Amino acid sequence: MRQTTVRPASEPTRFRPGRSPARRLRAVRRREREAGGAASFAHCLHAEWIKIRTMRSTLYVLLGTLAFCAGLAALNGSSAGDEFAGLSPADQAVFDPLATSLRGYLIAQITLGLLGGLVITSEYGARTIVSTLTSVPHRGRVLTSKAVVLVAVAFPTGLVVSLTGFLVGQAALSGAGAPHLALSDGEALRGIFGGGLYLALAGLFGLALGTVIRSTTATVTTLFGVMLIVQPFAPALPGGLGDWVTTYWPPIAGGQIITSYQDPDLLTPWAGLGVMAGCVAVMMGAAHAVFRKRDA
Amino acid sequence: MIEVRGLTKRYGEVVAVDELTFAVRPGEVTGFLGPNGAGKSTTLRMILGLDAATSGTATVSGRPYSAQPAPLKAVGALLDPGAVLPSRTAFHHLMALAAGNGIPRARVGEVLAEVGLEKVGRRRAGAYSLGMRQRLGIAAALLGDPPVLVFDEPLNGLDPEGIVWIRSLMRRMAAEGRAVLMSSHLMSETELTADHLIVIGRGKLIADMTMKDFIAAHSEREVLVRTPQAEVLRELLASAVGVRVEDRDTLVVTGLEAAEIGALASMSGVELHELTPRQVSLEKVFMDLTSEAVEYRTEQMERTEPEKVTGR
Repeated sequence: MRQTTVRPASEPTRFRPGRSPARRLRAVRRREREAGGAASFAHCLHAEWIKIRTMRSTLYVLLGTLAFCAGLAALNGSSAGDEFAGLSPADQAVFDPLATSLRGYLIAQITLGLLGGLVITSEYGARTIVSTLTSVPHRGRVLTSKAVVLVAVAFPTGLVVSLTGFLVGQAALSGAGAPHLALSDGEALRGIFGGGLYLALAGLFGLALGTVIRSTTATVTTLFGVMLIVQPFAPALPGGLGDWVTTYWPPIAGGQIITSYQDPDLLTPWAGLGVMAGCVAVMMGAAHAVFRKRDA
Repeated sequence: MIEVRGLTKRYGEVVAVDELTFAVRPGEVTGFLGPNGAGKSTTLRMILGLDAATSGTATVSGRPYSAQPAPLKAVGALLDPGAVLPSRTAFHHLMALAAGNGIPRARVGEVLAEVGLEKVGRRRAGAYSLGMRQRLGIAAALLGDPPVLVFDEPLNGLDPEGIVWIRSLMRRMAAEGRAVLMSSHLMSETELTADHLIVIGRGKLIADMTMKDFIAAHSEREVLVRTPQAEVLRELLASAVGVRVEDRDTLVVTGLEAAEIGALASMSGVELHELTPRQVSLEKVFMDLTSEAVEYRTEQMERTEPEKVTGR
């Protein structure tokens, strides 16, 4: 029978030189995994997949997002198309048919962020986090699995939402006789694919927030603040700060991915998405650190 | 087998669990007894790796919980019977737990049948009664067919039928050679189920002994005697046994059987009006023990370690 000590949380067990107990234990675990019977990362992924699939909110969020984005694309496309003829030449020059059809992402980023948050806040709400962590005590494994199944749901959903919005919106624009894009246009594909990526990132953003905050309500409120409230108020901020926020605030920067008109003051689409991705990476890292350290 | 050594949990200045050391052996039900707030749940949560210990160790079958290759096959735990997503079915709740440890799907049906939920397993868990949730929690604990079971207050809020069911389940699990740890804040519950007893108060170990020894050591029998000649009888008894004067004409005698007192009285011509053997309840013993811990705790600062009653 082996004896291994539980170290206090403040004393890291990693990166110790020599053949530390932790390393020997890992070697034992590896042998056990190879012998079968040990729980693996794939098992944890499977568990998280069952959970997201059997969470009722998942279906509601996905269907609601799709319906909203398609509906908004139709309304936005036909009204913008109707107004196009009356615009000044300067406004016509910056008319953005891609963004007009994909405007639904403003809400979709909240709903998918909410889904991401729910993946973990529902566990804190129902206290099932206790059974989850007794089933899989590796917290990094739990959080990573949650992130993977979330992206597996949110990215395809984001793609479908963007594609539907694009097709509905462009049809409405073309019906109104305004400039519109076809699927074969390069920026159209970038907008749809990038829009899907952005929404998957929004989901991860919600997951990171939810992991730290633990309450569904507080997570939704924060999502609204970060993703919707900052944008319209950014110009009101004093000088340099306002410009910085308008350019680099991650959800604003990331939103550049769905534009076909390049505002010279703002980041390019992929650079903007990169800012968003970097922000999500930092947040997930912070969430992981908190999740590992905190008592369940 | 669960082994806890010097386990301590501190929240800032507050010591919730203080240098606990004990073992939970296979083939027995071990009662883990203490008043509310004594640190029982915190101890269980540290054993299960949910809370980090400030110092000390807790191992299950020789390893810390986080190092178990498949935790549910090593330990089954019932901590919080209400912890189910209300919109999820019992079946899916168990499916997710089983999947995380590579336990086959067929096992979910087996444990649902074992706890008598097979007919309602496909219903939303939110519609379950407390008793059904408790059964679901037990089904989750049994999923991996583990050699060690941990139940936190398993009898709380159950109807008599549920209590009998869980009690016989714990007895059966112990008879199969498993180590069963059951926490409770009531001696009366524990007395009927446990073979071994661990009592804590304010995070400190107060008693660690077999239930039999605990009963033998603490269940003093006493005899209530009512007599108009209390003074005379008291003097007759005083040399040999414990006598407490309860009233002008009432004595409480310990250390002698009622028949012996009666014989002595009749030999000495003392008139008796009442002679009643009484059993001191274990609940009372438990309360006295744990309230002592509270008192010792306040004195401890300037004086000694609290007294421990250890049976082995």
